[in-house]
Amino acid sequence: MYVLITGAAGGLGRAFANECAQRGYDLILTDINESGLKAIKYGLERKYGISVRARACDLTSDASVAELMKYIRKEKIQPDMLLNVAGMDNEGGFIERNITSVLDIVKLNLEATLRITHSVLKERNSTSRFYIVFVSSLASMYPMPLKATYAASKRFLLDFAYALREELKSRNVSVLTLCPGGLATTREAICGITSQGFLGDATTNPIEKVVHNTISLALAGKAIYIPGLLNRSLSTLGKLFPKKLITRLLYIRWSHAQKQWLDMKA
Amino acid sequence: MQVKSKSVVVTGATSGIGFSVCELLLKNRFRVIGVGRSKENCEAARERLIEKYPEGEIVFFYGDMVHQQEVFRVASEIRDYLRKSSGDELHALINNAGCVRSWYMTSNEGYEHQFALNHLAGFILTHELLPCLIRAKGRILFTSSASHKMMRMRWKDLMFEKGYNPLLAYKQSKLCNMLFAYSLNEMYRDKGIAAYGVDPGLVNTSIGNKETGFIVNLVWSIRRRFGVSPDEPAKTYLMLCTVETPPNELYFKFLKPARYSSQVNKENADRLFAISEQLCNIRYER
Ligand SMILES: NC(=O)c1ccc[n+]([C@@H]2O[C@H](COP(=O)([O-])OP(=O)(O)OC[C@H]3O[C@@H](n4cnc5c(N)ncnc54)[C@H](OP(=O)(O)O)[C@@H]3O)[C@@H](O)[C@H]2O)c1
Repeated sequence: MYVLITGAAGGLGRAFANECAQRGYDLILTDINESGLKAIKYGLERKYGISVRARACDLTSDASVAELMKYIRKEKIQPDMLLNVAGMDNEGGFIERNITSVLDIVKLNLEATLRITHSVLKERNSTSRFYIVFVSSLASMYPMPLKATYAASKRFLLDFAYALREELKSRNVSVLTLCPGGLATTREAICGITSQGFLGDATTNPIEKVVHNTISLALAGKAIYIPGLLNRSLSTLGKLFPKKLITRLLYIRWSHAQKQWLDMKA
Repeated sequence: MQVKSKSVVVTGATSGIGFSVCELLLKNRFRVIGVGRSKENCEAARERLIEKYPEGEIVFFYGDMVHQQEVFRVASEIRDYLRKSSGDELHALINNAGCVRSWYMTSNEGYEHQFALNHLAGFILTHELLPCLIRAKGRILFTSSASHKMMRMRWKDLMFEKGYNPLLAYKQSKLCNMLFAYSLNEMYRDKGIAAYGVDPGLVNTSIGNKETGFIVNLVWSIRRRFGVSPDEPAKTYLMLCTVETPPNELYFKFLKPARYSSQVNKENADRLFAISEQLCNIRYER
């Protein structure tokens, strides 16, 4: 099993890489952060005595992705699994934010994910089953004031993944979307979690279990994985109430949490 | 008569136990080399120390020591400084920096935070500073804890990747401190090195309130109120740095030798040592 992981130098990407290494899979890692990529490659190789391929790539650039694909061809790698982990989050009201930072979300979470997925599907090993994982978010379940673009980008991925799954079913491709709640990946992420008080703890998913289950469920051909009972209930609840009401409630919750968060940062 | 001052490196020097140790060392005319996580916290700590001991010799180096690259960089900066200031001699290294985490988090290398900071950072720093320590027949201290007891090494899952448990991950990291101190004595006692684990007792510091979630925060905020001031355990560190003949015991609490876990034995120590060398890509001279 050859697995390509994007965003491999980030907290979730590193955990996925670890999980795959434990399962004995071969890895090709990519990320825009070259030194981070070097570090995780080093860590995996020290820990498991394996050899890991890593190649920096800016997924928002056609040229950079073309180069990555050239490398993959040259090395005669035929991926069996693609983990689309690269993505970004950005807090704040739409009008308060610099438009470039808003558009960057669209560029990375959407454009780049489609670009790499399209490219990799062409290089896949067509004689065996192929697996794609999209990392969406619990935020994809509802419109999210103050995280409007981010949440909508995650919704896009979720819907897109369902559609793609149907399109490629006959070609032996399986598509899973992961919709986690909070993940404790960075100091910033921890601030975001604690700013929500007890609910932050309760909706935070243990990364090591999330990555393990994601791979197992992808292999089993499942379409969606929402980790955590509370998160699953919240997403079901979201479907029972009118969109307007949910959006209003979320606005109240986020503006409160955001105030806490800004206080904490100060 | 002015005696040449001896240098001591203290990690985690910006708050809690490490900070109090720095104060006491300065008071006793050691040259103190503090290590902290961030520039801001190091500057603030330095200012507080200078205010109290305007004559004191104190420098700070900073780096996020969960990441190995950062530890190597800080170590090389310290070595440069020791060469210039102290004739390349280090009298004591106090591996004290530590953290608690609520969740499984990883360093850039993909190593679990508590294992990476509480154990591996000290493993690397000690290796890098060992030549300077040997020249001074120095001492190596670890802030361990009574938490190292009632715990076994989880060899099959050292980094808690099958399911994270904050408390067990912490206990194991403190057991690692004891095992590493044990190894250092085995390997370098004949070169004049002495290594110790210190149990500071329950201390009122903010360790459980940094980068932790709601529950760990809450539990620690209550628990720390029952703790002693960090000035109490600091006395034990000073004693171990100043006592003429280094004692033979491995583990100290409130100035006295204390009992430690039977898990602290040669078999476990050797095993951890070999794994740590592998994970850090370094080899201690044997
Ligand atoms: N408190 C207790 O009851 C107790 C009991 C037994 C053992 N201990 C041990 O005592 C040691 C010191 O803890 P403490 O209670 O004094 O807590 P503390 O006040 O939080 O001190 C920890 C120190 O380590 C530094 N540090 C944290 N993360 C770091 C990183 N990634 N890189 C570099 N430095 C980092 C901190 O810097 P910042 O100031 O920038 O955060 C701080 O200087 C720890 O090893 C702990 O396990 C404590």
